[in-house]
Amino acid sequence: MLQSLSRRCAMKAETKRSKKKESIIKAALTLFSLNGFHKTTIPDIARRIGMSTGNIYNYFASKDILAQEIIKYTSEVLGTEIRKINQQKTLSTHEKIHKIVEVYFTMATKKPEMIEYFLRVYLSHREVFVGECDKMICVAGFITEIMIFFADGVECGDLRDQDFFSAFGLFMGYLGGMAFLNGEAILPRALEDYIDDIAYNIYNALKT
Amino acid sequence: MARSTKLKILWLQSITCNGNTHSFFSHPNFMTLMQKFEVIYHPILDSKYSLDNVINKKLTCDILVLEGAFRETGMQKADREIYEIAKSYAKKAKHVITVGNCSTFGGVFRLYDPEYIGGFCFNDETPNEAYKLFKRKLISLPGCPAHPRWIGNLLSMILSQRQILLDNFHRPIEVYGYSAHAGCPRNEYFEWKVDSKNYGHKEGCLFYEYGCQAPYTHANCNKILWNEVSSKTRVGTPCFGCTEPYFPKKDLWHTNTLMGIPATMPMGVPRRAYLTITGIAKSFSIKRLNEPIIKYKK
Amino acid sequence: MKVKYLIEKIEGEAELEFDFKNGLVDNVNIYFPFYRGIEEILKNRDAMDALVITPRVCGICNHAHLIASVRAIENGLNKAGINIDLTQKAISLREFTLSCEIVQSHFKWFYLVALPQLLNLDRMKCPDNYILKASWASTNIVKALAIFSGQWPHASYAVPGGVSCDPTYEDIIQAESLVDEVIRFVENELIGMNIDEYHKRKEISNIKGDMAIMFGMLDKHNMKIKGKSYDRFAVFGEHPIFQTGQYNKKYSNDIDFSHIEEHPQHNSKAKSVTYKDMCYEVGPLARAIMTKNDFMLNLHDKYKDSVLTRVYARLDETIKLLVHIKSLLANLNVKELSCTLANMPKALEADGVGMVEAARGSLIHQSIIKDGKIQKYNIITPTQWNLSSGTQKEAGIAAQAIKGSVSIEEATFIFRTFDVCSVCTTH
Repeated sequence: MLQSLSRRCAMKAETKRSKKKESIIKAALTLFSLNGFHKTTIPDIARRIGMSTGNIYNYFASKDILAQEIIKYTSEVLGTEIRKINQQKTLSTHEKIHKIVEVYFTMATKKPEMIEYFLRVYLSHREVFVGECDKMICVAGFITEIMIFFADGVECGDLRDQDFFSAFGLFMGYLGGMAFLNGEAILPRALEDYIDDIAYNIYNALKT
Repeated sequence: MARSTKLKILWLQSITCNGNTHSFFSHPNFMTLMQKFEVIYHPILDSKYSLDNVINKKLTCDILVLEGAFRETGMQKADREIYEIAKSYAKKAKHVITVGNCSTFGGVFRLYDPEYIGGFCFNDETPNEAYKLFKRKLISLPGCPAHPRWIGNLLSMILSQRQILLDNFHRPIEVYGYSAHAGCPRNEYFEWKVDSKNYGHKEGCLFYEYGCQAPYTHANCNKILWNEVSSKTRVGTPCFGCTEPYFPKKDLWHTNTLMGIPATMPMGVPRRAYLTITGIAKSFSIKRLNEPIIKYKK
Repeated sequence: MKVKYLIEKIEGEAELEFDFKNGLVDNVNIYFPFYRGIEEILKNRDAMDALVITPRVCGICNHAHLIASVRAIENGLNKAGINIDLTQKAISLREFTLSCEIVQSHFKWFYLVALPQLLNLDRMKCPDNYILKASWASTNIVKALAIFSGQWPHASYAVPGGVSCDPTYEDIIQAESLVDEVIRFVENELIGMNIDEYHKRKEISNIKGDMAIMFGMLDKHNMKIKGKSYDRFAVFGEHPIFQTGQYNKKYSNDIDFSHIEEHPQHNSKAKSVTYKDMCYEVGPLARAIMTKNDFMLNLHDKYKDSVLTRVYARLDETIKLLVHIKSLLANLNVKELSCTLANMPKALEADGVGMVEAARGSLIHQSIIKDGKIQKYNIITPTQWNLSSGTQKEAGIAAQAIKGSVSIEEATFIFRTFDVCSVCTTH
């Protein structure tokens, strides 16, 4: 009885801690998006969510480490959405592509700070992500789901077998490019208006 | 518990290369083991019956060992169809053992005429007519060839009346429950994804570039070793999956990939789990594993 | 008078149809009843698949098929302009493993075929320990083989450009001690004398051990005058220890694949094979003749290609090979590369022939590759040479050797001295 009580307490503490971490990450994302990566400081983030700077360091040992954790976080969020799509066995490959584009564009519209972080911070500040985030380890959550999507597509005969990066570059480069243009306010229409066409293009480029 | 009479063993060959016979002959206790039986017929050992007797007389046996692929008609010995002979002995035998991939699943020789040639009870992974008749007595020892210990130990287990647990293909789980990957000296290279780039090195994993099927092949080759000393992967040859129903697959030295991702995962490992671990492993470079184990002086 | 006989325990079976005239065998037709179609199975498969599939032609000489197969691919690559430079290490390892397989096969022939069959001619039972000896000796020599090849039977460790194994000195020493044990067995049991004494022998009767029993019985049954064929020999496979070429009343070191022809045979699934339209004998006797070893030439002078000479050549070769493989191991340099070809070229076009000396004689593989896939594959096995029913002009080698036999028992014994492999013949 006492054991399960202390276990529940431990779990509650853990949840509290991860919720706190998430709120720090969300605040950081917003500030990076508003003011840029280099201009945002840990004290700025601390002020935004009403924590002391010292307390922030209890969760993230440095700004670089926070930056790495953020990329893992955004990767997990996107990865989770794509996993849900992968697990729907009744969807056709074309439908799955459509849903993936939808998820990406919805995120780019509703939570632009996430996609922006990826494009403007992760891709443009590789020096921040050395060491623990070398190669593509921090975006593993997302990359794995794309790999599974491709493998399933080839296995059922819908997608042409080819080098992973050729297909990945086509898919993600396309989506990233559209998100970038959207972020620069160059696109005449809302990003979601492009979902059908882009999904169609991707499917036709990758299909057998 | 002593037996008053020895169990009768009949080793009958169909469409075969004799590989399983020669493999079993290399068992260190071949003679001692076989002398515990009354040999009705064996391809190497003498018995009081000739092949003609076996085929044309109504003999009986307790243990029927079948080697080689089968076809209903068109494979005759002494003017009679060997498939009919096999079935008639199987009906009266207590145990029917298919030794080798050919008699179990059809193997290499099934490829010549897949419509008419298959294993005794399975055609690839599909049970056939004979399976319904003999499933209660069937034990499968696929392999190309079967390892001498798989054969010898099974016969010993029958003699000592031990329980033999079988999988869905009737393969003894004590052997086929392992993967050929267990015990491979290249395991660390598999774990850290240090893939072989050339033939002829003791370092490097053969799974990704050289078609090694060990992680998803049911066998204990790297546990008990071949000829007591060796195994394919120990000498830099990939495992070709010879205990499985689909052996030999096409392009044996190549790994089937789906957009660069291995098409077949290690036994029981979900693709998501494998890819996650692989992604992480690949992002680290372990110095020791990227160097030769032995650096000889010139 | 025609008599049918099912001969068994020849790595499978064969149907013999004897023609008796005046109580003696006048002719014999040899039928191999089953065809497995390995050559068809290989069509359209990736070129390297041959290294895995062709050993499955035969359970006792699978390793020879592997070496012939890799030589065929390498020959094709060389002719297509891709230079294959095998290191001495790769060459020696392949020689070692191939020789071990030959020795294993000969041990089995002596103890499981020759001695029991000879005893049978005298209605005597075979001692149990012959099987034990065959089992021990063959098991241990293939153990040495497996250290480098991964397993026996059915290894695929020889790849274009070399071998896949990367042995240490420790592996070599383990193999050396196994070979030493097998040599000790040969000295204690097989010939009853040590190798040095053996090399000083003046006559067959000097040999002791189990072989003394064998030669004694061969003598008793007049085998020094029986079993003669055309005295025509061919050796196609290149090995440091054998000499290629042919002998037909005189020696020639020239031998050319293009003069080989295969012919389908009536009622038999085995094809017959000729060289320049004639039947040639392959095997240990052919190799002994071509190597011009003194003792053998002496024996041949006296007894021509009789059963005695043929059987003796098999024994002599066993000992020669055991001595040879010891020196191969002693001179191995593990620092050399195992394989010098990084990758098989994509879309490969190659037409190559691989020839090897297997236990029973020359084994030939031809591999025609287009776009990386096998377009045509052809295998000619030693038993095809020795056991075909012949041409329009002459009977086959073994058929000729059996002529004049007084009984089926004698005829089948002579037949077995060619060390027949039924499965190889009908691949």
